[in-house]
Amino acid sequence: MAAITAGKKWDPSRARLALMGVVLLMAWGVVAWRLVDVQIITAPEVADKGLEQRLVIRDLPPQRGKIFDRNGDLLAMTVESQSLYAVPAQVEEPLYVAQQFGSFLGVDPDLLYERLTSDKDFVYIKRQVDSATAEELLALEVLGVYSLPEPARVYPAGDVASHITGFVDIDGIGQEGLEIVYEEALRGVPGRAKFERDLAGRVIPQGENNIVPAVPGFDLNTTIDLPLQYQAQQACMKAIKKPVNAASCWVVVLEVETGEILAMTGAPTFDPVTKQTSDGEPFSNFAVRGVYEPGSTEKLITVAAALEEKTVSVSSVLPNIADVLELREDACRSADDDLYGCYRDFDEHETRDMTVRDIFVLSSNVGTIKVAETLGQSRLIDYIKAFGLGSPTGVDYTAEAPGILNFAAGCETCWASAAIGYSVAATPLQMAAAYAAIANDGTWITPHLVASQTDADGTTQMAGPVTRQVVSEETARLMRELLAGVVDVGTGTNAQVEGYRVGGKTGTANILGSDGRYTDATRASFVGMAPIDDPKVVVAVLIDSPSFKYRTGGASAAPVFAEVMEQALHRLGVTPDGIE
Amino acid sequence: MSARPQRAITGGQGLRVVKGRSRSKRPAVAPWMIMALVGITAFLGLGFARTSLDKSAFDLAELDRAIAEQTDINRELRLEIAQLENPAHIAPLAEEMGLVIPRETRQLLVDLDPTSPRIVRADDGEGTQ
Repeated sequence: MAAITAGKKWDPSRARLALMGVVLLMAWGVVAWRLVDVQIITAPEVADKGLEQRLVIRDLPPQRGKIFDRNGDLLAMTVESQSLYAVPAQVEEPLYVAQQFGSFLGVDPDLLYERLTSDKDFVYIKRQVDSATAEELLALEVLGVYSLPEPARVYPAGDVASHITGFVDIDGIGQEGLEIVYEEALRGVPGRAKFERDLAGRVIPQGENNIVPAVPGFDLNTTIDLPLQYQAQQACMKAIKKPVNAASCWVVVLEVETGEILAMTGAPTFDPVTKQTSDGEPFSNFAVRGVYEPGSTEKLITVAAALEEKTVSVSSVLPNIADVLELREDACRSADDDLYGCYRDFDEHETRDMTVRDIFVLSSNVGTIKVAETLGQSRLIDYIKAFGLGSPTGVDYTAEAPGILNFAAGCETCWASAAIGYSVAATPLQMAAAYAAIANDGTWITPHLVASQTDADGTTQMAGPVTRQVVSEETARLMRELLAGVVDVGTGTNAQVEGYRVGGKTGTANILGSDGRYTDATRASFVGMAPIDDPKVVVAVLIDSPSFKYRTGGASAAPVFAEVMEQALHRLGVTPDGIE
Repeated sequence: MSARPQRAITGGQGLRVVKGRSRSKRPAVAPWMIMALVGITAFLGLGFARTSLDKSAFDLAELDRAIAEQTDINRELRLEIAQLENPAHIAPLAEEMGLVIPRETRQLLVDLDPTSPRIVRADDGEGTQ
């Protein structure tokens, strides 16, 4: 009864309670509504927003393939490096950073200071620094300086194999050599990772996680023999120093039966890190891209063609071979007239009858032109082309020069010039391949640098090289005997290798000047093979502009040939055949 | 313990059957308890499984990181080996040690007679057993 009486009165505490109840109810109502809103009405939208914040999509760069030599020694590989960068706005002492980091990293401090004081959000200090150096610099804890990982291409063999491997640019894309030829195979296929991560950047284990792994690039197994490549380079290095003092030297070593290039190098050397030669010049590979008039080394083709066509035999006697020949009236008015139909032998001699063997072994220009005359221009050109001159060999290397065949219509003397190695221009590799055809019983084989590719599924052999028969086995055998004569008693005695019978041919060609006349400077060459009865290796050497005393192939190129050939035979374990 | 009606006593006039007070049925607790237990167990189990999975995933990520690190070290070591094996690196060291590339090879011709194999000709022309 008391309660009822009290209820009838205004009770502020009950009213407050009721109000609180209503407020709470409304609050819970709002919460409940928000729950419904978030969990049901806008749930998909909110979920998408959350996922967007957590989801990360990253491209996974593939590991670039390695390059090996024929023994499995590394020529090129990719390692993880650190790229140092700065956020200029955060760098408090740009001058200090520019001086310290610049001098330590070999970056121009002025250039670095310019970068650090720019209004950019991100500038590189130096890309692809080795991890130890980066750690050392980061340990200084300079504000605003950071690093990020980046793959870097390295060449453990340094300048020894740089003419083969070439190099990549800062972004790892092939620019030269095998790096660009096999860019697609080496590069691999990028992968893609899609995953959720938390605020700390850690992967959320039960979140969305979709990874398509990157497929590493193929590893290339080249035909190069690194120790032989080194020996060949060293031999070439001697040729550009005194007393030979040549402008450059190039060597190609071919395995006869397979067409595999065992070594291809030159001097001055090329540093794949600085991307300059030791002379400060850009990359070049004259062995594949440079053309020169082969001079007397081309006589192999002329004489082989004549023997094959049976217009002469090795013992045929050609009468009245003088040391000068005029194919045009009054072509040889003076001793300097060496153009347009005047041909002279290197050494003066009395007019006499000469056998084809003598003509070849003593490298008579006049005699060789007489041999070519029996053949005729058309057939001579056919054989020059069959031996691979005038078109690229097809070697797996970029920008191969096709060479030059100058048989312009109306040129009356071009055929005679071509017979002795003028009026045609070839690369050292083309000449090596032509000689390898003689070494290989008349079968020409495409020279090549890569034997196989390897990936996770195993090793894939490259397609077999192109082959073609250019002369018969008998002609090839006869030519090898003639080549042996050149080394035994002819112009190439400096090419002899102890324990082996070697055959080869010297070449000395004057360099055409800018005025269209031949200068006194020469390109001296020697191309040969061993052991002569069953050749395994062909070596071609080209010496550009040696000093006067060494201007001939026999004086400057033959000794380099002998040194390289000896090492090649030892490396291949070829049984000596020259023991009496 | 249910109430049972007393047997009527014959002849007893003062006695009558009294209807007992109805008692509410006790709720069946056991199934609910079992359900609750199952629920709690399932919840805990799920939590445990999830935690284990997460732990494994973190362990896996840690292992992946370790593998990547070791792979990098392996690559760097391979690079170092390749640099050390480079002929251009070895040759000057060999030269310092007085080693030279053999230029003059010595040829041996061996008589393979199984009873007395011997070198029949060396470069100096001497035959040895």
